[in-house]
Amino acid sequence: MSSLRTTSTFKLGMWLLLAPLCLWLILLIILPHLELLAFSFTDPEQGSFTFSFYQEFFLEPLYWRTFVRTAVMSIMATILTLLIAFPVAFYIAKMLKGRSKGIVFAMCLIPFWVSELVRTFGWMILLRESGVISNFLQWSGLSAGPVELLYTDATIMLGLVYTSMLFMVVPLVNTLDSLDDSFIEAGYDLGGSNWNVLREIVIPHATPGIVSGCIIVFMLSLGNYLTPVLLGGKDSLWFTEQIYTQFITRFNWEQGSAFGLLLLLLSSLIVWAGLKISSQSFSKTMG
Amino acid sequence: MPKETTIDLACENICKHFSDFTAVDNISFTIPKGSFFSILGPSGCGKTTLLRMLAGFEQPSSGDLLIKQKSMLDVPPNKRPVNMVFQHLALFPTMNIEENIGYGLRRQSVPKSEIAERVTTVLDRVGLAGSGKKRVEQLSGGQRQRIALARCLVLNPTLLLLDEPLGALDLKLREQMKIELKLLQKEFGTTFVYITHDQSEALVMSDQIAVMNKGRFEQVGTPHQLYYQPETAFVAGFVGDSNRWQGTVESLASSTVLVSTSDGLSFKSTIMGDKAINTGNSVEIFVRPEAINVSRTAASEETDNQLVCQVETILFDGAKSQIIAVEKESGGKITVTLPQTSDFTNLKNADTLYLNWSAEQTLCFIDNPDSIGSV
Repeated sequence: MSSLRTTSTFKLGMWLLLAPLCLWLILLIILPHLELLAFSFTDPEQGSFTFSFYQEFFLEPLYWRTFVRTAVMSIMATILTLLIAFPVAFYIAKMLKGRSKGIVFAMCLIPFWVSELVRTFGWMILLRESGVISNFLQWSGLSAGPVELLYTDATIMLGLVYTSMLFMVVPLVNTLDSLDDSFIEAGYDLGGSNWNVLREIVIPHATPGIVSGCIIVFMLSLGNYLTPVLLGGKDSLWFTEQIYTQFITRFNWEQGSAFGLLLLLLSSLIVWAGLKISSQSFSKTMG
Repeated sequence: MPKETTIDLACENICKHFSDFTAVDNISFTIPKGSFFSILGPSGCGKTTLLRMLAGFEQPSSGDLLIKQKSMLDVPPNKRPVNMVFQHLALFPTMNIEENIGYGLRRQSVPKSEIAERVTTVLDRVGLAGSGKKRVEQLSGGQRQRIALARCLVLNPTLLLLDEPLGALDLKLREQMKIELKLLQKEFGTTFVYITHDQSEALVMSDQIAVMNKGRFEQVGTPHQLYYQPETAFVAGFVGDSNRWQGTVESLASSTVLVSTSDGLSFKSTIMGDKAINTGNSVEIFVRPEAINVSRTAASEETDNQLVCQVETILFDGAKSQIIAVEKESGGKITVTLPQTSDFTNLKNADTLYLNWSAEQTLCFIDNPDSIGSV
């Protein structure tokens, strides 16, 4: 009898613990998306079922080109972030010991204590026509007139990589930390060069961290609004900007809903393709 | 010189200093080709540092390191003809057995077909034919051990370094692997350098053992020499079990001395080591429990050392059982091996025992404040 009771109390406890998560999922994720789904298929005038908002996306080149551009730039930002974050994470996890390790890791975290908006304005102060870098170039005589460094694709990329860096470094440091030094030493001992050891031992071990870092960074970049708008200006052509315009400027919630769902669908598709290419499974990466 | 043995490894005055202490202090030794050389010492004695210098993961502060007469000081680990079996083996978990063993061969750009062939051969030789496609975690501890060896031996290294690889195994398997390692070493003919803190591993497997303490070699010799003729008190205490007494020299006679211990016992002992001993010196004496004759009746003839004791405790451990006995008058304690003869099957506490042993089996070392360590 007692064991029966403990299992039932255990079950109750489990449900109580799960309740906030379920509420969060239902209220903030599932319900809004069902609402979006309903919106995107409803004709606002007649209230009847329609495909027209999805048709609009494929028929109007501006929309799908913006989407492709956003996806490609996000993938590039992800790759760049990985290339920069990997050596940093390797240095933190494997080269540093004790106190200095903690300090350097904390230094990577500190910029993220400031809100994204403030951080982005920081970049604007540096890069704008009357900004720090432009003034320095003129003062040193390297440039005759003011230099505008904002509102280019490179600037957007810079902002995206900077914003995402932490989300790549943390999972990488975690997986690299768990790689015992003796594996690396064994790699050298058996005749491997730096490159061999990196490719055959370090990267295979770090793959789950690399993949989860890439998923997070890609999703963050794809869904980023502030950075492309502030650093890219009017011509940034970021897909989230289109969604914003539909909802807020045009008051076309139906079109906005369709775009939102398309973004969700297509980003999931890209992540799935990425996992297939790197032959990783989602559960392996997250577990 | 056809009969001259070739030297695979020579260390000349190797030192390694870290910021605040000396890990390896002026060590010189040579290892002949094809031998099983062990470095035995307590943890923290510098043996791992020494091994890592041989592998190339640490640079000596001074001295030279020659493999086949060629200095290795400027050779990085991946270019040395040396391979290492790591303490926790370091088999790559992301590769299967075949890929693990083939890793080193791929680095040497050996053609694929030859790699497959050599991997199959070496797997066969370590007795694991057909497990090439298995994953590391599918193998048992002993099998992993053999794979780690195979991964090194397939490269035909001049020197194979082993960093306490048996430490993680349970007792039964460790006993079995000791014999297996020795047989594999003989079969492959590779020179092994084995470091361990377990004297039994060193004694069973080695041709030569160096006993290391505080960065120095105390003694280098065959297992037999270390056991029967220890040169220092540290070696006498570290290799094998010993009864150990502090005492003072009472009188001197050619090679034997009469020592009275702090317990109030006095023993005839043999002077060991190369230091001169005088009357009044404080010394340490060692007697192995297994060197003591135990009898339940008084011996008829006179021997160098005899004691009449009472059994205090019997530490039963099968063939390795020991008796702790107390000398009646002084209260001094002595450990002896429990003989497995019928006389002793019903031995119980407070029984009287007559112990005797010779002066040759009582080793006397002059007190040296440097050698305190023991097992």
